[in-house]
Amino acid sequence: MTSVPERPLEQQITLLELVDRVLNKGVVLTGDITLSVADVDLVYVGLRVLLASVGTMERLAAE
Amino acid sequence: MIYLYAIAEELDGLPEVPGVDGTPLARRSLEGLDLVVSEHEGREIAASEEAVLAHAHVVEGLVERSAALLPARFGRGFSDEAALREAIAGRAASLREALAQVRGCIEVGVRVLAAEPAPPPAAAESGRAYMETRLARSEETERLARELHEPLAALARAATRTVGATPRLLLSGAYLVEPGELDAFRSRVGELEAAHTELTFVTTGPWPPYSFAPGGET
Repeated sequence: MTSVPERPLEQQITLLELVDRVLNKGVVLTGDITLSVADVDLVYVGLRVLLASVGTMERLAAE
Repeated sequence: MIYLYAIAEELDGLPEVPGVDGTPLARRSLEGLDLVVSEHEGREIAASEEAVLAHAHVVEGLVERSAALLPARFGRGFSDEAALREAIAGRAASLREALAQVRGCIEVGVRVLAAEPAPPPAAAESGRAYMETRLARSEETERLARELHEPLAALARAATRTVGATPRLLLSGAYLVEPGELDAFRSRVGELEAAHTELTFVTTGPWPPYSFAPGGET
């Protein structure tokens, strides 16, 4: 394989980092209304699962 | 409902991107702070992946239009102008402090992944041996995470870290870096990478300073 397979890993981690920041960091003020993020949490969990499988992808990329 | 994207200082215009739900952006000025919001009928916005990305795009577009910026967490709104005003009034001092800290800086993320999760200790060991093995491992993880985090934190105005969030994720760090220090920061990541070839380093960013905006725990 060429060096191309490195990109998906970086992109996935970047997306995970983005969603992690938007959902879990940032200013929270008292008295605000919190939207239900049940659907979004599913996206986030999906990304975490992807990240957990990163090891497999790295081995594939190295071969 | 008034949906909040960010709190800024010296905001110079709004980015030409739609807000969550495709709603146009608006601004408010409260206590000398610039707030970027959008107005919605009712109290509900569909929380979807698109909405999360729309929120992120707005925040990203605000970075270059402000002197300092604190992104708001996704999915936060206020029932009316009075509720927004009251929420800001109670926190204005700490928000100004946080804005002063992030001013002129960018956030860089570094994730360090271990090669493989450590296998669980052999089941046949005694309870005490098992606990001792586990303790030794968590101490080793902590020591290694500190060894990686501290040289990076030394180049940053502020830093946060999470250690061992998952068996493979050794360190998840966020670093508030001045643009002039970014090259030095990247080289230091490179040096750590060269010294720890068994680990995978992933540097992300620059991000708006999400990790250095005060959360709701206070």
